[in-house]
Amino acid sequence: MSRDTTQTESGTDPTEPSTDPTEPSTDTAGSGTDGADPRADADQLVDTDPGGGGLSERERRETAATEPVVTARGLDVYYGDTQALDDVSIQIPANRVTAMIGPSGCGKSTFLRSINRMNDLVDIARVDGELFFQDAEIYADEVDPVALRRQVGMVFQHPNPFPKSIYDNVAYGLRVQGRTDDLDAVVEESLRKAALWEEVNDRLDETATGLSGGQQQRLCIARAIAVDPEVILMDEPASALDPVATSKIEDLIAELAESYTVVIVTHNMQQAARISDRTAVFLTGGELVEYDRTEKIFENPESQRVEDYITGKFG
Amino acid sequence: MATDTDTGRASGESGFGRVSRLRGQLFESLTLGASVFGIVALAVLLAYVFWDAFGLAAAEPGWYVVFAGLTLLPAVVFVWYARRHPAVGETSLELVSTALAGVLGGFGLVAVLEVIAGDEVWFTYFCTVVAPLAGLYVYGRLDRTATWIGVGSLVALVGGPIVGTLLLGPLTTVAALLGAPLVYLLTVVVPAAGIVRYVVDDRLGLGNGNYAAAGLLAVAVLGVPLVDRTGVARSVWLLFVTALAPTALVVWNNVADSRWPGVVGPAGVAGGLAATVVVTDLVGITGPAPWFDWQYVTSDPSQTAADAGLYPAIIGSVFVIVLVAVTTLVVAIGAAVYLEEYAPTSGVAGAFARLVRINISNLAGVPSVVYGLLGLGVFANLANLGVGTVITAAFTLSLLILPIVIISAREAIQSVPDSLRQASYGMGATRWQTIRRVVLPQALPGTLTGTILALGRAIGETAPLIMIGVATTAFSPPSGLFSRTSAMPMQVFVWSSYPSEAFQHGVVAAGVVTLLIVLLTMNSIAILVRNKFERETH
Repeated sequence: MSRDTTQTESGTDPTEPSTDPTEPSTDTAGSGTDGADPRADADQLVDTDPGGGGLSERERRETAATEPVVTARGLDVYYGDTQALDDVSIQIPANRVTAMIGPSGCGKSTFLRSINRMNDLVDIARVDGELFFQDAEIYADEVDPVALRRQVGMVFQHPNPFPKSIYDNVAYGLRVQGRTDDLDAVVEESLRKAALWEEVNDRLDETATGLSGGQQQRLCIARAIAVDPEVILMDEPASALDPVATSKIEDLIAELAESYTVVIVTHNMQQAARISDRTAVFLTGGELVEYDRTEKIFENPESQRVEDYITGKFG
Repeated sequence: MATDTDTGRASGESGFGRVSRLRGQLFESLTLGASVFGIVALAVLLAYVFWDAFGLAAAEPGWYVVFAGLTLLPAVVFVWYARRHPAVGETSLELVSTALAGVLGGFGLVAVLEVIAGDEVWFTYFCTVVAPLAGLYVYGRLDRTATWIGVGSLVALVGGPIVGTLLLGPLTTVAALLGAPLVYLLTVVVPAAGIVRYVVDDRLGLGNGNYAAAGLLAVAVLGVPLVDRTGVARSVWLLFVTALAPTALVVWNNVADSRWPGVVGPAGVAGGLAATVVVTDLVGITGPAPWFDWQYVTSDPSQTAADAGLYPAIIGSVFVIVLVAVTTLVVAIGAAVYLEEYAPTSGVAGAFARLVRINISNLAGVPSVVYGLLGLGVFANLANLGVGTVITAAFTLSLLILPIVIISAREAIQSVPDSLRQASYGMGATRWQTIRRVVLPQALPGTLTGTILALGRAIGETAPLIMIGVATTAFSPPSGLFSRTSAMPMQVFVWSSYPSEAFQHGVVAAGVVTLLIVLLTMNSIAILVRNKFERETH
């Protein structure tokens, strides 16, 4: 059926050329802070100091590269005849937050979905080049995508809890993987890590669809971390949420980076600036234009195109 | 509408003129006529049938006055009230469909225990199918980590009947040694006591369920001799129990809070009906002379209209429809899951899946007579299952509704949001785990609703049954899968060709009413099931 050929979750239809170029730069909804107008400050394109965003107490981690968890070398992805990623090479360090920014249809979600082979679910998707998870090649013939996804958790754009109880949602991955020892303790710990325990501990048996959008997204994060993955992929996790919920999710991402490697796709550049240690900028045609420390990208990018994109001129 | 009626002054002054709405208004009335036509035609037919079936012509005017005052008035008042309080309406719907489901379930139990299987055969299949399934279910509830329960249940469901058929000899001997009373005690009363213990203790929290279970055992053991003295058959008492026990549970759940009128309303209407009977009896007003009554439902067919009954045909129809439900549901869910979840979109297999999909849609429109011919050729003759037997009829009707059920199951599976599948795959679930834990639970209510509506169609089918040689009149209910049977629509059909006025107007109408009641019961159960599942999953 047609379901397999479309990506409803990513919001980036691979067959569609890039959409309105002005949209991403003006998208500040859900930023959580009333950040300074990036164009007003000549030295600093985007305010990387979160100020009142709730992250001020966070000590910015030392951003030197650690051991790379995900390494891509010359990665190309095609959907049928459309090329979604063009010769992408990147090293994503462990225990850091790496943000992917860029306009719609530029391939950031495609890259994210290549890491846990969710693209396999799309019949017409084809992958060339090398992509490594730690030392193992992700697209090698002998790799079982299901086993891979147990190491690489994913959080989607729209909160998508199962219409089961809160408890069953968090326990889902553990049950699927047959790790049912000490289920209660793991569920509680995951909910605590996702900063949701205090809000739901008295109604674990109630259906998860009754939670608010922000709570649902934190539940999805709890669900993803319950199975203790190496990497957590987040595909615009806050874009469907209001500013307060967004701010909670951002706090949570910062905490998660202490024990997990987080790769986050976002349309919101201020969010990328606030929460990420490293930023990769994708531009039209699936090209990775620049990848560096977040401060560097937002304060002094190498590429003129990146600077234009970040300042909203979009060259 | 406002523009063409009340703007005369404005348009006259401003000189905009008027735009003709004539064609649109004509079309509107035509569409209204089209929608009303079918309903009115059906209502006239049904009124006619009910008039005959309940013999309303015999009633005096005084009876109508009493009936209107004591039954209709409370009913109208309650409906008016329920419309203003949706929760009340919902409660009364739940109450009525639970009672109906209880009656139907009890009827099925009686049919299996006493009519079709008999105690020895029942004991055999209880040991090989029902007991293992129940045991697995209970074990699954106790040990949440056991992942093999589902597979085990499937094995028991499929393998149990085969093992039972193979072991029929030795196990019936065991049953004969135990004797009928002990068999019923072990296979009906003890499981019922288990259910009572669960309901009283865990669901309602009323106190110690063990006492309740022991009480039920005692009542059953002591009650049977008492019941036999009343002159009412044991099966009727069983029907009372299966209808009243779940109803009482619904009443218990709803009576406490503001939804109590939902319980009182239907009770009031039923009480009003009883009062109508009592009052007219006391005053001496002649009531209606119904053809549809207890005698009709429990007698064999007869040459005289007054003695004629539908009993063997009802049992035959219910037996067939239960088999149809089981086979259709299993095959249809299987087919729908393959077509929606597994079938590739490209290549040879993809082309095959496309071909199957197109053909299933076309098969839904094939005339039922053709399915009858197929059943005659394949099941009756080729597979040698016998002409006009229960199993041939069940397989033929299964084939007939299979396309409809597959389509409804496919739609139900399609309506499961893709984001849930993605979430499941993203958690490292296999395709099977995703289907088993996410897709099927979500798709089940829709599938069940579609199935039960299709079963309603199957139970009324006549043409394929004629084709496979189902008896028009049977004087005893079927006694097994390979026994010849009759069916309600067949019996009604043959009665309609009898010359006597009493048959044509009374007995046939009563048969139609019986069919309608069974159908409406099934539909209300479908609604009940859907509501239940929707409440659980949302």
